[in-house]
Parts: sequence; C-alpha cells; structure tokens
Amino acid sequence: MTGVEPRFDDLIHAPTRLALVSLLTAAEWADFKFLREQTGLSDSALSKQLTTLEDAGYIDIRKSFVGKRPRTSARLTPTGREAFAAHVAALQEIVSRAGLEITP
Amino acid sequence: MDPIDAELALAEVRIRRDQVVTSTLVPTWFWPTVGALMLLFVAAVESGVPWLIATGSALYGAGLSAVIGVVAFRSRVQVRNALLGPRGALAIAGFALTLVALGLGLAFTLQALGLPHPATIAAVPVALGMTFGGPRLMAYLRRLMLSRPLAGAR
Repeated sequence: MTGVEPRFDDLIHAPTRLALVSLLTAAEWADFKFLREQTGLSDSALSKQLTTLEDAGYIDIRKSFVGKRPRTSARLTPTGREAFAAHVAALQEIVSRAGLEITP
Repeated sequence: MDPIDAELALAEVRIRRDQVVTSTLVPTWFWPTVGALMLLFVAAVESGVPWLIATGSALYGAGLSAVIGVVAFRSRVQVRNALLGPRGALAIAGFALTLVALGLGLAFTLQALGLPHPATIAAVPVALGMTFGGPRLMAYLRRLMLSRPLAGAR
C-alpha cells in the first residue's frame, strides 16, 4: 500500500467520473477532445461531469489557444489527486479484505 | 461494497492509465522517418556540393519540423512526469547518448582509417539504431509507467 488513508469517495466512484479521474491521474493535463474520445461521452455530458469535478475542487479546467484554435484542457488538482489516492486505497482495502489479489 | 465491484473499479483505473500512456508514446513511424532524414542530411553535408548541402539542409529542416509538428499536434494529453520517473529519463538519455557515441565513434574511426564518406557510413547504424531501438525504448517506457502503483507517484 502507499500509506494513504483509505477513503471511499462517492463523487469519484460514479462510472464516468471514475474514468475521467483515472485518465487525469495518469496525466499532467488532458485535452477535452482526448477525454471525450476515451470516454465516449458527448460534449455536453463531458462538460457536466467536468464541472462537477471542478466544483468539488478535484480538477482545474484551462482554456487556451494552440495557434488560432481554442483548446480546453483539464488537470487534477492536488486535492483531487489526494482524494483519488484515498479512493483507490479504499478499493484496494475492500479487495484485500475479501482475500482477492490486488494488482499494485 | 462488493469486492468484485471494487476489483472492477481498479481494473477500470488500470485501463484508463494504459490509455493515457499509450496515447503519449511516440508512434513507431517516427523513428525510421527521423533516421532517414538524418542520414540524408549527413550525406548531403558530407558531399561537399553546395547545392546538395543547401537542398539537404532545407529538406532536413522541413522534414523534421513536419514530423515533430505532427507528433506534437496529435498530442492531446501529457503523461504524468512522475510515471516516467528517473529510470525513464535515464533510459531516454542513455538511448540518445548511445546513438551519439556510436555515430561519432564510428565516424572518427572510419576517418582515421582514411575511408571515404565516414560520417554518412557512421550515420547508417545510427539510423538503424533509431529504427529498431526507438520502438523498443517506447515499449520499455510503457512497461515502466504501467508498473507504477495506481494512485502513487505523487
């Protein structure tokens, strides 16, 4: 284990948000289009989920330009990273208690 | 919560990390393309023919810019630096330094032996090293990044 206090997070655990936070935890930042392609969500559904995570203080959303093209990207905040680590630890604890094998 | 659901959630986390890592690796075509461009550039410069040097330099500059531009433009996610870590950075540096040492060492040796076109000949194994070594380096980095703890590496 990583020494993180396990804490199950209902906000993160919702399937689409778990997918989003899992993608973001492996990234410094991720483009809106990347998140949409990987999750298969519509623009509006993705925006809604990202706003929920942003309101919780778990992600930052940044709007910038690459050349003349607008680009929206998201990154996990330190708060979001800690919450995710605690959530993963909680999941691993549940699995471990049941005697199942945990992949690190 | 059902332990099976927890395990499925952890599997989801692993799959999503894999998606990020896979998306950020340099594509396989990058390596032979850059190797070929470098070989053409070295051959053009070593020819000593002014118009060949000018054309080769222009093509090299344009080609390299295009290749890097395509890779950079495709990039829609930046993998977390902590996933790469010191071992990943060392692997990249080691790969680059090995190719440079190979190219320079061979070129100077061939020159000392008085063989014609030493730099061009030395660039061939370097280009081959990029072609075959680049994808292996990417595979190693992928394995390394996926071996990190799921929510660790803060």
